[in-house]
Amino acid sequence: MNNILSILIFLPLVAALLIIILPSGFRERFKYIALGTSIIQFFITLSIYLNFNSTSSFAGVNKESQFQLLEKVPWIRLDLGSIGKLEIDYLLGIDGMSLPFLVLSALVMFVATLASWEIKTNLKAFFALLLLLNTAIMGVFCSLDFFLFYIFYELMLLPLYFLIGMWGGVKREYAAIKFFLYTLFGSVFMLLVIIGLYFSVLNPATGNHTFNMILMMDPGNYLGSSLFSTVANQNVLGISARLLAFIVLFIAFAIKVPIVPFHTWLPDAHVEAPTPVSIILAGLLLKVGGYGILRVCYSIFPDAAIQSAWWLGLIGVISIIYGALNALAQTDLKRLIAYSSVSHMGFVTLGIASGTTEGVSGAILQMISHGGLSAMLFFLVGMLYNRVHDREIAHFRGLALVMPQFTAFIMIAFFASLGLPGFSAFMAEAFSLIGAFASQEVNGLLPRWMAIGGSVGILLSAAYFLWTLQRMFFGMTRLKGGDDWLSRLKDVSIREKFALVPLAVLALALGIFPSLIFNKMNASVLAFIEMISG
Amino acid sequence: MMLLVSGISLLVHIYSIAYMKGDTNIHRYWAYLGLFCFSMMGLVVSDSLLIIYMFWELVGFSSYLLIGFWFTKESASQAAKKAFIMNRIGDLGFLAGIMIIYAQFGTFDVVKLFGAEGLVNAASIIDSIWISSHNQMPVLWLSIAGVAFFIGAIAKSAQFPLHTWLPDAMEGPTSVSSLIHAATMVAAGVFLIVRIYPVFDSLVLNIMTITGVFTAFMAATIALTQNDIKRILAYSTISQLGFMVAAMGIGAYGESIFHLTTHAFFKCLLFLAAGAVIHQLHHYKDQHQLEFDHQDIRLMGGLRKQMPVAFITMSISAAALAGLPFTSGYLSKDAILITSFEWAQGYYGVKKLVPYLLTLTSWLTVFYIARLIFKVFFGKSSYDGLQEAPSSMSRVLIILAICSLSLLFSFNPFFYENSWILQEFSSAGVKRFDNIHIIVPSVVTIISILIVFAAYKVYSGNKTKFFPEKGFLYQISKQAWFFDTAYNFLFVRSTESLSRLSSKFDILIIDGVVNLLARSMSVLSGISDWFDRNIVDGLVNGIAAIARKTGRFSRQFQSGKLQHYLITMLGLVVTFFILTYFI
Repeated sequence: MNNILSILIFLPLVAALLIIILPSGFRERFKYIALGTSIIQFFITLSIYLNFNSTSSFAGVNKESQFQLLEKVPWIRLDLGSIGKLEIDYLLGIDGMSLPFLVLSALVMFVATLASWEIKTNLKAFFALLLLLNTAIMGVFCSLDFFLFYIFYELMLLPLYFLIGMWGGVKREYAAIKFFLYTLFGSVFMLLVIIGLYFSVLNPATGNHTFNMILMMDPGNYLGSSLFSTVANQNVLGISARLLAFIVLFIAFAIKVPIVPFHTWLPDAHVEAPTPVSIILAGLLLKVGGYGILRVCYSIFPDAAIQSAWWLGLIGVISIIYGALNALAQTDLKRLIAYSSVSHMGFVTLGIASGTTEGVSGAILQMISHGGLSAMLFFLVGMLYNRVHDREIAHFRGLALVMPQFTAFIMIAFFASLGLPGFSAFMAEAFSLIGAFASQEVNGLLPRWMAIGGSVGILLSAAYFLWTLQRMFFGMTRLKGGDDWLSRLKDVSIREKFALVPLAVLALALGIFPSLIFNKMNASVLAFIEMISG
Repeated sequence: MMLLVSGISLLVHIYSIAYMKGDTNIHRYWAYLGLFCFSMMGLVVSDSLLIIYMFWELVGFSSYLLIGFWFTKESASQAAKKAFIMNRIGDLGFLAGIMIIYAQFGTFDVVKLFGAEGLVNAASIIDSIWISSHNQMPVLWLSIAGVAFFIGAIAKSAQFPLHTWLPDAMEGPTSVSSLIHAATMVAAGVFLIVRIYPVFDSLVLNIMTITGVFTAFMAATIALTQNDIKRILAYSTISQLGFMVAAMGIGAYGESIFHLTTHAFFKCLLFLAAGAVIHQLHHYKDQHQLEFDHQDIRLMGGLRKQMPVAFITMSISAAALAGLPFTSGYLSKDAILITSFEWAQGYYGVKKLVPYLLTLTSWLTVFYIARLIFKVFFGKSSYDGLQEAPSSMSRVLIILAICSLSLLFSFNPFFYENSWILQEFSSAGVKRFDNIHIIVPSVVTIISILIVFAAYKVYSGNKTKFFPEKGFLYQISKQAWFFDTAYNFLFVRSTESLSRLSSKFDILIIDGVVNLLARSMSVLSGISDWFDRNIVDGLVNGIAAIARKTGRFSRQFQSGKLQHYLITMLGLVVTFFILTYFI
């Protein structure tokens, strides 16, 4: 199966077309088509995971021959006369750093589809867009050609805009536009950098200008006099062109992650989006940002990354503490979780900035872990909202008596998120922090106090989660809606268990055996560290 | 330690069968208790710092679950949250310590790190640089690591300034308080200190001594005036743990572990006996439809005759706590006191105070525990028909009472030096070699007995209050030195306002900038719209209008009448001539 990645990416697109073609009489079937697609995808990714070769000769990262399931088809060839030839490939492949994200994407998509049962209007458009989004996300994690990457990257925006804008809450239009413009702001400048890179890099085999990301990672492929050449070291606007390009790319991805101060689209988008979209936003979109920082920013501009590591670490620490403080002040449960995402993704930035094996491994694990846990949290909030159409923390009290199973799942999700040992978030955060702490000895990038500062976030996360637990779930039952709510607050249904149990199992499995991921990506992370440290 | 944990948890399990009978959520209780035992065992047997840390937090988590077991009670869920968060502070310290040790030595293995020829001992300090075979860093980080681990230990062992969660934790079932918050979990902090002892340098050891002594003294003074039977015992636990920590600080870790072991038994017994009393009173209350606080010792009294087993066992454990002869507490407390006197001989100044403060504290201990016993069991009973606790509870009490006697630990009831636990720790054997070993125990014991007698005089009959229940000192003690109030003000409130502030900042400034940007964009687009409409389009329309006007004007000429054309032509020709010839 040489083109398994293509199947993985375009299967949802085919399903989307099928949904569009089918007459509206089949509208009740649409969700099963979407669900079936995501289940097939999950098994494909699982088989990819099981057959993945994790030896160091298949580390990937900056050696095209080491990528697995490689698909390379010449796509666009244009003769540009004196400049040379334009070369865009349909280039897909995975290594240890992208593999975990594929499995996560399939799983989160499965959960999001199950959460879509609550959608009642315009089903055809909803599921078609959801599947289109699925294609785009899978594509981002697989593509190795920058042009292709950018297409998938932008393709994510379109369905999301409509999904938020059409099926969202009261302020959905505001949120959708805010989200769209925010993200577009980042990616427009990214396009400039891509074009600059294209003019700077030559494919040594053919002598053509290329968009191949892997070739961009080798300083030897740059034209000596070009803008981004390490030799020429040109300046733009008074600072080194490579540093500027790194900053631009970093901001583009940082908006997605999101890091403070580019995070304000996130609470609005999350709160207004319908549950399945919140799940995808938190579970996958944020990870695209983190993945992009690793795959693009760090890999193509390692020198600039090392130069700005101190700032990245600082941003990470600020995100951790600032996000947690904000979460503490929220009165809406969904906003609280949105801000906790900001805080948790700060560990990713911190871990990556440390430039150590522990830190980067921890950062990737944190992304996977947070992907599962935030999906679980948003799913749970969605369940509550779906039943009584309210999310204000103060309007609930003593829910544990009304919905004991729901409370059990909430407690699993909360305690896993606040870093209880035995769950994935603990491992991820501990490794990020250990990496950040060791950084001063290993490569001198981050001072030790950053790790200490980051660990304060763990304390604050305990504070806001436990406080919420105490306010909403413990005590005697007192609900704003009275008996009406009491009758509507049914405990967890079978369908909901199907969505929640896999996520809880994932969190527990990665917490006890983090090597499930560490083993698969270790060779790649080592190659990555070796590449960025010169 | 392992024997201790499994032994005591077995007894508490048996006890719980009767104590928790009839609770609707009993299955959760057993599940949580099982989780706790699992984590505690894991904590004790682990040999890797990281795994110890994991179990360390799991212990805190199961304690959270058990404290908040009656979650419908507001105070219980508050207390659970408080316990978890305060323990979290300690966990952070522990984690920071682990990070430092890992960065320095590159391993988590406890034996490799802290063994006799371990890496920590092998590391050298040259010119204030801390050098190991793996790495090097300024020596300051050694102290920071010690302090960090110590913070972890004091949160778990409820030492000043992180002690305030333990009294609140008494909201949980009494069997839980006995197992977790008296015998095992709170001892984990002391246990941790022993495991990693080599990492502490003299600075940290001094901090440890001061913290321990201060906590022991402070908690004992608070216990003097409390009226809730479980809170008295909780403060007593804090105080005794202070003894252990202080003993660690002066280097007497063998004695400290000895006290930990004896304390585990007699404090567990104290709690379980108190639990028996509470359980019976609670039943009595339910039977007779009464409404009173069944944990308030002022409302008890005279239970000696109605509950003889509880009385005798509790008296034995109280004697052990007070450190009276023939009990285990006598041996271990003397061990600590004597060692502290010996230690203080080598120092001057403030350190001289340490043994005296400890001695004073032990007398305070005698007093408050005597007060508790006399108030609960002497005097007249106001509850007719109160019965002994169920036999499965009583049997556990008796077993523990036997364990609280000195015989189990040393064949010689007066000399702690012969106890087998201490023999294990110091291979050379502890020898008595000077007068301190004779003078200290005898003086302490004689005065203790006098205090018991005094307390009997004051409290045995339900007499009027002997001490004034007001005044500055009384308030300090009653309000637990105002720590809760201060923390609430200093940390909880400030964090809350900080979070509100940052939320405002987020909405007003960061989101404000974004929205301002959006608004200025829309204003800009409005301006450009106006410009487009009025200037650019105006120009286009203006040109069109001019053309139209010109057309309309010139249309007038195209009237189709020959006379008009001729006149115009004539006019033009005349004008032309005038222009050419006359100008």
